[in-house]
Amino acid sequence: MTKSHKSKLLILFMLAAIVLNITSCGSKPQQNTVAGSDEQKDFPLIIRLEGGDWGFPSPFAHYSRGPGMAKMRLIYDSLLEKGEKGLIPWLAKSWSISPDGREYTFVLNSQVKWHDGEILSAEDVKFSFEYFLKHPPVSNSLLIDGKPFIEKIDIIDENQVKITVSEPNSTILDRLGIVRIIPKHIWETIDDPKKVTDLDKLVGCGPYILTDYSQEQGAYRFQAFKDYWGPKPLVDIIEFVPVSDPVLAFEKGEIDLIKVPEDLMTRYLGNEEYKLLKSPAFWGYKLMFNMEKKPELADIAVRKAIAHAINVNELIEKVARGAAVPASPGYLPIDHIWHNPDVTKYEFDLEKAKALLNNRTLDLVLLIADDQKEARIAELLKINFAKVGINLKAQAVDMKTRDSMVKEQNYELALIGHGGWGQDADILRENYGVIVAKDSSPSSNVIPGYSNPKINELCIKQLTELDEESRKAMIMELQKIISDEIPLLPLYNTVEYAVFRPQKYDGWVHVFDHHEVTHNKLSYLER
Amino acid sequence: MVYRKILKLLMTFFVIITLNFCLPRLMPGDPFYFLSSEQGEITISYSDEEIQRQRAYYGLDKPIMVQYGRYLKSMAKGDLGYSIYFNNDVWTIIKNRIPWSISLVFLSMIIGGFFGIILGCLSAWQRNGLLDKILYSTMVFVSEIPPFLIGILFLFYLAAHWGLFPLSGGMTPFADYASWTDRIFDIAYHGILPVITLGVVQMGDFFLISRSSMIAVMNKDYMTTARAKGIATCRILFRHALSNAALPIITRMFNGLGQAVGGTVLVENVFNYPGLGLLMRQAVLVRDYPLIQGIFLTITLFVLIMNFMADIVYKKFDPRIV
Repeated sequence: MTKSHKSKLLILFMLAAIVLNITSCGSKPQQNTVAGSDEQKDFPLIIRLEGGDWGFPSPFAHYSRGPGMAKMRLIYDSLLEKGEKGLIPWLAKSWSISPDGREYTFVLNSQVKWHDGEILSAEDVKFSFEYFLKHPPVSNSLLIDGKPFIEKIDIIDENQVKITVSEPNSTILDRLGIVRIIPKHIWETIDDPKKVTDLDKLVGCGPYILTDYSQEQGAYRFQAFKDYWGPKPLVDIIEFVPVSDPVLAFEKGEIDLIKVPEDLMTRYLGNEEYKLLKSPAFWGYKLMFNMEKKPELADIAVRKAIAHAINVNELIEKVARGAAVPASPGYLPIDHIWHNPDVTKYEFDLEKAKALLNNRTLDLVLLIADDQKEARIAELLKINFAKVGINLKAQAVDMKTRDSMVKEQNYELALIGHGGWGQDADILRENYGVIVAKDSSPSSNVIPGYSNPKINELCIKQLTELDEESRKAMIMELQKIISDEIPLLPLYNTVEYAVFRPQKYDGWVHVFDHHEVTHNKLSYLER
Repeated sequence: MVYRKILKLLMTFFVIITLNFCLPRLMPGDPFYFLSSEQGEITISYSDEEIQRQRAYYGLDKPIMVQYGRYLKSMAKGDLGYSIYFNNDVWTIIKNRIPWSISLVFLSMIIGGFFGIILGCLSAWQRNGLLDKILYSTMVFVSEIPPFLIGILFLFYLAAHWGLFPLSGGMTPFADYASWTDRIFDIAYHGILPVITLGVVQMGDFFLISRSSMIAVMNKDYMTTARAKGIATCRILFRHALSNAALPIITRMFNGLGQAVGGTVLVENVFNYPGLGLLMRQAVLVRDYPLIQGIFLTITLFVLIMNFMADIVYKKFDPRIV
């Protein structure tokens, strides 16, 4: 190859790389238009948060993780919303439930506008529920144990919708309330909503409009909807931007809020420039017992011995670096609205554990994910377990493999960490009620080889009890029995600290069942 | 002869796409099971009925041979499928990321190659001299440092401490560029640190290869002849010696380009750069079969193309190679 040929080849290569980059990387998504507004001027408050790709924020296309769902919910409103203390009226200004618990009537706010200027109608509400039954969204609350429960939907008048369900159920108001309302005029002609990724189809009636999205950059830009029917948006623009190191980005002012790592807390504590907000402890680890594969675990004395042999405070100090609280043996964590503080507790006591084991020795394999924290937990458990005669061997696999092995009940002990501990107390049934299918719910897996008639009965009763106080009493009792039995052992629930600069924006708030301040729309709205 | 080569290439390709189909499915785990989540994250789980519906939607409920048949049919039509987790066409996802990865590797190779080869030649020329000793030990050190560590150092000092470069990303988010030159400048500005990071590591490799290759060539008789003829040192080094020492360097270069797709994952991770390496990691973590297949296929094609180009270039440099 001659010199001139080589140079030509090189130049050709460089040009190709540059052209490829300009045409592909730089492609800007289509812009959305804001009906009847002139949003281009004077938006003083822009909040930037850590980005990352969580999918196209339509109810059908976002990724099955919290951040994806939260972005979608900025665009789409629901009949009810999660408030600081419980469900609050939203698109529905009021609702009523028939005495038999089968009819739910919602009265809609009038003059609610879609982002394209159309008016939201009761027809849209009916359409949304029916469309979701046919085309399930990523987050689908319209199934109980995998089965649909809506019998029919009637439009009473232009502002009232009545939903009839197949049987009374205490979780239905929550399930109906959080369903996103989508515009009929956009979706009625779409047969495969999963594949819709045009910004101009992303018309909701929520407080924000998505104006930019870049999947490969992991960047989103939301602009406040000028004609929003509800509380005034306090943040004019929310931008989710790619971040390499959140702490560096926060300190340089590139983003406005971070979850501060446990070891960096002191950097911000006592500094007037910053404010820290502690999250409720709704993410946690639990230890699963497979009593079928390891029948020794069916002995309650063995489970109690294990509970006494775990030094939860040590785990919190060494693994969570202090940013956690001991989990409740009754499952519902300390910050849950229906947490029972009077459950049976198991203090760290090796002598008691030995006595309960009564000179027995056990060989157990603990299934964990190949994660540093889980490995540390396993190591600490192993040390204390050895002192009471339990030989623990950790088996580390990647997260997906672990999930599959737990699902297939291919484990003896399994350590699982997940969120959602603040959800409706029906999570007790999903975790402990063997009467339901084993795959019925998030983060649950019914305990193999365990069944307790009292727990099962209460699980069923609370589900059909419509009186809140009576149901709450049942949940309290259920937690007590669960804590006595410990069919699975919750270890600890993590707390997170969000740090931000209050001079710039101080509206962050936690809703009653979620630990992430940036994931609820109330954080961006006037209260 | 040509037919046999083509047949061989097709057979290789067929074996590869079959492996691409089998490998993701051999991994334990399931794309639809979500029991656990990263700390602080909430995940959405599905009931058996929902999982069955999703499997049917993606055609994963069919027997494996039917799935394989469909896969081959789609491949023949150039359809790489639809990503389960990322909810987008696999080719769209890949093609939006390829330019970033290729630019990153290509530019870092030019920088690393340029300096590595020149310094390698000088080091070989001054073999056992002070310059050689300093360069050699420095380059051995540099080539052994993991790229992410160099990246983190750059990030902390050049980007965060001195504010000379952006902290992350491939371009300014939501920027409204006045012209193409602005866009090029912005992309280049964001690419400098990742490119230099990879370039530094590559420089060490190129230095070591070109040094050892040059040392072998320097001892040849024709080099003595060249020196005896009084040819300028620079011309001897870079014209006569380097062209004879080029083959191992070319091999390294094309190997490096072949790894463009997956080889940059650590640097992409440090700078949150939108390349294919990070995407591949995510696809494997969530068991996104169609996307894993698509990325593996892209990698395979890239390696094959680079090997093919290396063969052509070899022949140009050394006519003895058939």
